[in-house]
Amino acid sequence: MEARAREVGTPLSAPPAVRRTSDLAARGEPFLWLFGGALGLGIFMIVGFLLLVAWNGISTFWPKPIEVVALKGGGLVAGEPTRAESFRPGPERLAGLDAAARAAIERNGGHARRTLYRIGNYDLYNEDFRWVADFEVAGASRPADMVFVERLEWGPFVGRIKEVDLDGARSAGAAPDLGRLSSAHAAARARWQRLREIERGAIGEVNHDLNAERLRLRRAALDHGRDGPRFRQVEAEVAARTAALERAYAGLTAEAEAIRKEDGKFRLTLAEIGGKEKTVPLSEVVRLYPANDLSLWGKLRVYVSRWAEFLSDEPREANTEGGVLPAIFGTAAMTLLMVLVVAPFGVLAALYLREYAKQGKLVSVVRISVNNLAGVPSIVYGVFGLGFFAYIVGATIDQLVFPERLPNPTFGTGGLLWSSLTLALLTVPVVVVATEEALAAVPRSMREGSLACGASKWQTIRYIVLPRAMPGIMTGLILAMARGAGEVAPLMLVGVVKLAPELPVDGFFPYIHLERSFMHLGFHIYDVGFQSRNSEAGKPMVFVTTLLLIGLIAAMNATAIYLRNRLKRKYAVGHF
Amino acid sequence: MAQPATLLDAERKDDEPPARHERAGAQGIALEIAGFSLWYGETQALFDNTVAVQKGFVTALIGPSGCGKSTLLRAINRMNDLIEGVRIAGEIRLDGVDVYDPRVDVIALRKRMGMVFQKPNPFPMSVFDNVVYPLRVDGVRNRAVLGEACERALRGAALWEEVKDRLGDNALGLSGGQQQRLCIARAIAVEPDVLLMDEPCSALDPLATARIEELVDELRGRYTIIIVTHNMQQAARVSDNTAFMYLGRMIEYGDTQMVFTNPRRRRTADYVTGRFG
Repeated sequence: MEARAREVGTPLSAPPAVRRTSDLAARGEPFLWLFGGALGLGIFMIVGFLLLVAWNGISTFWPKPIEVVALKGGGLVAGEPTRAESFRPGPERLAGLDAAARAAIERNGGHARRTLYRIGNYDLYNEDFRWVADFEVAGASRPADMVFVERLEWGPFVGRIKEVDLDGARSAGAAPDLGRLSSAHAAARARWQRLREIERGAIGEVNHDLNAERLRLRRAALDHGRDGPRFRQVEAEVAARTAALERAYAGLTAEAEAIRKEDGKFRLTLAEIGGKEKTVPLSEVVRLYPANDLSLWGKLRVYVSRWAEFLSDEPREANTEGGVLPAIFGTAAMTLLMVLVVAPFGVLAALYLREYAKQGKLVSVVRISVNNLAGVPSIVYGVFGLGFFAYIVGATIDQLVFPERLPNPTFGTGGLLWSSLTLALLTVPVVVVATEEALAAVPRSMREGSLACGASKWQTIRYIVLPRAMPGIMTGLILAMARGAGEVAPLMLVGVVKLAPELPVDGFFPYIHLERSFMHLGFHIYDVGFQSRNSEAGKPMVFVTTLLLIGLIAAMNATAIYLRNRLKRKYAVGHF
Repeated sequence: MAQPATLLDAERKDDEPPARHERAGAQGIALEIAGFSLWYGETQALFDNTVAVQKGFVTALIGPSGCGKSTLLRAINRMNDLIEGVRIAGEIRLDGVDVYDPRVDVIALRKRMGMVFQKPNPFPMSVFDNVVYPLRVDGVRNRAVLGEACERALRGAALWEEVKDRLGDNALGLSGGQQQRLCIARAIAVEPDVLLMDEPCSALDPLATARIEELVDELRGRYTIIIVTHNMQQAARVSDNTAFMYLGRMIEYGDTQMVFTNPRRRRTADYVTGRFG
């Protein structure tokens, strides 16, 4: 009876009249539109962003035609049309125009159109780009003999081939034999490659050994004093090795000199549209193609070779040209190292917090603090990393382990290791929170089943809880990785540089050099876009690098997600 | 209010059919619960319970929801230790030793007691790994020993014929009833003294339930089984002795037939005839 009375409810007053139709708010229709709209807006922004980056990134390397524009005031401009826009000419420019043009602009509300040409030839013009307004143009054409030449220095050259000097065989004239030129060019590039191998590789190795000998002598002086017999012994050894190395150095230099002399016989003389000439060694030409006379196949080859260079080469021209291999490498190495550090660190901390710590006020405070750490601006971590890791820990390591290199810092400055540790610190809250949630989500029945089998708490965690929580922990690591790979601000303080002379991994013992500074795609974008001498030239590279960074992060995440899903399948087979 | 329940062997009349425990054979007392009380924080959940569980018998714990059956069962292998703020008084003696004695090693204690839970909880690993889990955590690494124990346990749980060809498959792929029998196999893999079953059929369909009941019947005599159940028919079918609990108190404990057909207390009679609960 009691129960029934409760069910029906005791009416204290007259029940309200029940309406036949529920109102709009009750049905929730407007909210549905609101939620759907919010989602739609989000998707639109993300897709729009991705499309913008992808389109700009993908189209950058496609070869564009070269247009030769004759100006009304006399003179010619040759270059790749980059983009066009509407602008409002100033009064003094309007004053210099003829009446018809002025009338046309006035009809258009004072606006005229202009086109930005990439004219190249920075060494001759002191600018890479030039605006040409439509009212200045007398006529435009696309001559087939115009060539676009990418050089090692001074950026691209836009003009015509005036003369080709292949070891004395000059082919001055109107139509240079492009087939012969390209095979000679390939040979010249191979020589240049060889030269670089000698200078960077072999001579680099000799330099490295010479430096090691010099350090050995200093070390001996620090360890044994300068007058002991052991120091003399070391001194003699070092002197002998140094002499041998210097002989090797001289030999290599002579070889390099011979190649360079041979190289000097192959030259290319180019003429810009105004007739000014420029002679460059053939080996300093990276790529040469007749922009207006390319088949689709030819364009594709240029496109692919540019991508290949971008992905596999080092940057040149203040990062606005060449490749980004060191940056790709640095980003991947730093992120992987960070995950290696943050994974055990975060998971162990979360395990203690969730499984062992007595749940009380203190644990709550710790948990809230860890969550709040995720909200600290990343630059603060950068300052901490520089101050603590580099200046305190690193300087101590230098004094204890590498005293012979001082005052040059080894670990006492920014580097790969300190960057990874700083980012690990930055992302540890993400891992801790995700791991704690994953651990809490392991069903109580699993733990009880294991404990009832006579397993200890640690065995239960090791064999039951951790495997079950692994997909959730992986999710946390993926989030941490995504956050860490995209972080730039703290890295600028603790080890990322504009141009790193050496990769952090090379052939010299101990092969992985955690103390070296490195390049990072995120910083590369900032540097190319905002720090280079010519931001217009860097702009396409910004998009390409952004595309690459997004791609790299997506690839790393996809790998991690794939691993996680394999784990998930293992631990959750559907019922049937 | 709750008097210590006594075993009712002496009171049974000679013309009654023999109780099932005679089939099993009386082997003495396996487990003694003596004046056991338990508190969750400030709330007292068990009041001064006293039961002597016969060795080799199936003992059913019945009673309405929230009466403390599961709490009592989980107190026996000290699963309640996991819950914060639990206090106890009184003793639970296994072979004369109080399981709450501070000198008792809880892990060793639990190895002597298998436990089967309300919902089948196989671990997310292979059938084989599930069954030998208690041996593995005990340090057994010998493959032959593990294989033998696995077969013996699965045969004991009447599951061998169904899974012998898929021992390497993930246990989560088995049906609900098979999973529960797998959990029973896991519980008996280390040959425990006592098998604790906490409503082992409540998540199963009638057919799977019947299989489990058959199995309990087969295990009678080899293990001392304490089974918590909501289902009074089940208690009547499978158990030798029945304990009826109400609001944390042991109301009546004795031979199953007696409890169901001729209960001594009014509450018990009301419950087993379905007048409340």
